[in-house]
Amino acid sequence: MIRGLDPVIHAPKRLAAMAVLANAPTASFRFLKEFLEVSDSDLSKHMSALEAAGYVSATKDGRGRGATTTYKLTRTGQTAYNAHRDALRALLDGPL
Amino acid sequence: MESDAQEQLRLIERAEAAPYVDYPKTPWWYPVVIGLWAAAMIGTFVWWRENAPLFTSVLVGLLLLEAAFITWMQRRHGAMPMPGRGRPPAEIGGIWRRYFAGLAVIAVAVGLVWWLVGVPAAAGTAFVLVTGGLVVYERAYAVAAAAKVKERLA
Repeated sequence: MIRGLDPVIHAPKRLAAMAVLANAPTASFRFLKEFLEVSDSDLSKHMSALEAAGYVSATKDGRGRGATTTYKLTRTGQTAYNAHRDALRALLDGPL
Repeated sequence: MESDAQEQLRLIERAEAAPYVDYPKTPWWYPVVIGLWAAAMIGTFVWWRENAPLFTSVLVGLLLLEAAFITWMQRRHGAMPMPGRGRPPAEIGGIWRRYFAGLAVIAVAVGLVWWLVGVPAAAGTAFVLVTGGLVVYERAYAVAAAAKVKERLA
């Protein structure tokens, strides 16, 4: 792995989820699922990995069928996302 | 590795733009309701000196209504962007700058009417300018800018 690139975020679906969360205060499970075009279980797995890394936090409102889960980028997640983004740019820009 | 990086940056650009361009259609009544809310906020000041409890309770009620409305919008949208957070696509950034400039113009116009004519006229002016301004903004945002972003990133 290139220096600065984060192995947790490198997976495309996780990277896209982080990019969405970096541009909105919160994102709902449904929004992420529809944007990423993944199944419920697939999204749950990706978001759990990001939660385990401390990059996102989840909030659940309500119970049963009407329950909604929203995700938020943590400060650690924001820093990791910015570093990953910058590393990708640097990789393309090459040495000065 | 470079093509992988390019691919990831394209993915990032599409995902960063998503909260700004992937959203349910704004209901037709939205500009009118916000216009009425703005007029009510200004109109409340009729009671500013005459009836302090009435003034305060209506003002608090309107603020609670606004908070409830924003919560509903956020749930409906799923990932509602906020000014000052993230990186809006250039097309949207331009629209937002004009939106805030428009808000300042409306505030000055309403203040001027208030000063010259009075609170009821200022409330009416706020209704007309806010409703009209939002209709123009919605067209510029949803019909023009968001469509351009979607086309560019397709």
